[in-house]
Amino acid sequence: MTSETQQKFSLPHSDSVLEAVKEVFTMTCGTEATLSDADLSDKMLDGVVIAVISIVGDVNWSVFLGLPRSTSEQLAKSFCGFDVEFESDDMGDVVGELTNILAGTCKQILDKRGVDVEISLPSVMRVEGIEILVQRESTSRKLFFESSVGCFWAGVVSGKNPGFVA
Amino acid sequence: MDINAMVVDDSGIMRKMVMRGLNESGMASFTFTEAVDGQDALDKYDPNTVQMLFVDWNMPNMNGLEFIVEARKKTDHHIPVVMITTESTMAKVEEAMEKGGVDTFVCKPFTPDALKTKLQPLFEKIEEDSENFFGSLAG
Repeated sequence: MTSETQQKFSLPHSDSVLEAVKEVFTMTCGTEATLSDADLSDKMLDGVVIAVISIVGDVNWSVFLGLPRSTSEQLAKSFCGFDVEFESDDMGDVVGELTNILAGTCKQILDKRGVDVEISLPSVMRVEGIEILVQRESTSRKLFFESSVGCFWAGVVSGKNPGFVA
Repeated sequence: MDINAMVVDDSGIMRKMVMRGLNESGMASFTFTEAVDGQDALDKYDPNTVQMLFVDWNMPNMNGLEFIVEARKKTDHHIPVVMITTESTMAKVEEAMEKGGVDTFVCKPFTPDALKTKLQPLFEKIEEDSENFFGSLAG
């Protein structure tokens, strides 16, 4: 991560999301996801699957994962071992499951830091031409990644009360 | 060896992955009953026909552990339970294993090969128990 990116996002413990994304991606695909400073929003125009999961306790977060069509198809194939159509219900299950694993990995990292949290079940949406808006006075951190199966983004939104800061 | 297994997971794709992994493992010839959460599993569970349970932990309505506790009440016979879990619930699963509710666990994500490696000892034990059971009947 560049110093500029580090300065831009100051949400305490949000580096756990970055760490978890890299770990889950390596586990799932066996290749590394690289953090990118580029805005990859135009890559999302062909449709995106987005999953959101709550991490609550000493911190109160919504963690989200956004996968463009081509990335989701390649990632799903790598995760399942067989093809999964972008428009299918199975794709929702795959991205939901990946997000669940991502949040679980975040929880594990936070546990080691003495930050106690629980995770919810994921909510998954398939959309086109989306722009993520967050409530005013909330803090968000959006991370763009590039990888051998394509680009994607992950992020975290914290409410007015970000909770305990270790 | 023929095994009638119940796969309990709110994710349809995870049920598919478990069933596909088991079929590809060659450890047994499987027939499956699927359930979408703990409550659905409890409604469908018949200890006289189901020989093995594959159960997700985190599910709506009734979670995996709650289902296993209720399922255990239906029979004195030990039905092997494999918990499908993520790293985040590993501590809870290990606690459940110590209490005897869960025989082993498989961590997501997994490949068919990893599934086979992890479950091979359990299937060998099931086969051995089955031979001993029929041996005692014959003796």
